Amino acid sequence: MKFVAVIRQVPDSESRLKIDAGRVDLSSATLILDQMDEYAVEEVIRLQEKHGGESVIVALGPERFEEAVRTALAMGADRAIHLVQEGYLDPITQAEALAEVLRAEAPDVVLTGGQQADWDSQALGPAIAEALGWPVVTWTTALEIEDGWAKARHDLDEGAEVVRLSLPAVFTTQQGLNEPRYPTLPGIMKAKKKEIRKAPTAAASKVEVLEQSIQERARLGKLLDGTKDPQAAASELIRLLHEEAKVI
Amino acid sequence: MILVVLEHDGARLRKGALEAVTRARQLSALGGVSGVVIGENLTSVAEEARRYVDTVYVAEVGAYTAEKWAAAAYAAAQKAGAKVVIASGGRQSRSWTPRLAYRLGAGLLEDTLETSTDGSRVIASRYSFLNRVTEKQAASLPVVITAKPNTTPLAEPQGEGSVEDLSVELPPAQVEVLERVTEQKKGVSLTEATVVVTGGRGLGSPEAFAGVEELADLLGGAVGATRAVVDAGWRPYGEQVGQTGKTVQPGVYIALAVSGAVQHQAGMNKSKYIVAVNKDAEAPIFKIADYGIVGDVHQVLPALIEATKKLRD
Repeated sequence: MKFVAVIRQVPDSESRLKIDAGRVDLSSATLILDQMDEYAVEEVIRLQEKHGGESVIVALGPERFEEAVRTALAMGADRAIHLVQEGYLDPITQAEALAEVLRAEAPDVVLTGGQQADWDSQALGPAIAEALGWPVVTWTTALEIEDGWAKARHDLDEGAEVVRLSLPAVFTTQQGLNEPRYPTLPGIMKAKKKEIRKAPTAAASKVEVLEQSIQERARLGKLLDGTKDPQAAASELIRLLHEEAKVI
Repeated sequence: MILVVLEHDGARLRKGALEAVTRARQLSALGGVSGVVIGENLTSVAEEARRYVDTVYVAEVGAYTAEKWAAAAYAAAQKAGAKVVIASGGRQSRSWTPRLAYRLGAGLLEDTLETSTDGSRVIASRYSFLNRVTEKQAASLPVVITAKPNTTPLAEPQGEGSVEDLSVELPPAQVEVLERVTEQKKGVSLTEATVVVTGGRGLGSPEAFAGVEELADLLGGAVGATRAVVDAGWRPYGEQVGQTGKTVQPGVYIALAVSGAVQHQAGMNKSKYIVAVNKDAEAPIFKIADYGIVGDVHQVLPALIEATKKLRD
């Protein structure tokens, strides 16, 4: 069987973001494999360990994504395909470009993150499924496969669902799916020799980003001491919320 | 023509549907507004929906699956000749709207805060980078838009539209639901609530959430939880606020014994007012708080409940 994780590279959530000329400037940010995609990488490796076959990493993004691809290979995936594209590309167009590669690879399972930590988009997995005409399960917290079928548990707006579907299929990840492993030193050494096939993409984005800004709302920062007289602090807080903020 | 996919709970339109209608009217330079209701037993929802739009298409397709919703919305968009499709932005619609956008060859503007048009494009603002950045995007028609809940005034009814049955060519079912666990929520939903009271791991036990619930009830709000609390199994996943949970933007967000990790902030940092109670004065949550009490939550929370009751009397 063949298992594919579609991954991206994003700024670490703890990283400080800068804006330069109306755009987020990532030049001084720490860039990492998207943590939601990390669940996808871990899952394809586990599926391969259990069912045999091959685990493949597919990425679509700028040259710098190679670092995240190497991380995924160091975790244990077999090989990678990197479609190189600089600049913003909307998820629908990305899905179109990725579908071409995925169709050629013909995997049984495709996994990708439930939400991207840079664009806050949840669209890539469902759009890939549409492009391939496959079913999709979003926000997956458990996945088992057997004889061409998958059984998965996934989160809804309220609650959860257990579903059964035939493969091939696309799954997007949610925390709880697994605990991603750390790349080991031998893993990192081995990853250096693994194949990353690169190909250019010529896709044009349907959506244009015009401007980005960080407006940190100035917070009031009014702190009350509730260590000595919690009652008095609580009464004062409720009064402030009622009379000053007028929110209760 | 603009098509609104009107979300409902089986009996009534949801608030998000009325927000989406307002968004559609704001784009009236691009055409009139039609709607589609999708699901089962839609007669009463269709009656309500016709008061908001010129034509309501009724797509009886049974229980929800992403494929069915995408197919029904696609059929309605074709029938209405819609170049713009708007839906409210819950997790459910964010899983079928990409399919619809792909099928229509449309750009997708996800989880937008505001939308406007310059006559040929739709321009939208939205948050990105875990809610830390506000960005403006533009897409030419056709375009599919999801509207972030709680961002837009609710539409008023405006007449009597017509109702039309829509035949939808359904793809063979690809996903079979074996089991559905719906969390029975009393009161307001987390993403629509104007007050959210969230408990963190510092509460020490699931039992301590009785106080969180009581305070939320008194304030007419909803209960939230941090990832650590949900991971510990103290509260259901549906209450989780943060990067991998829900994003909320209430009038006031009250964080009780929540330290305030970046991943948590991603789900609540746009709240109008942020209130924190924590015994650690150095907790990151205080850096983004408008009001806060440094103190033991086990003493402060009962005092907050008491003070709120007094205020109500």
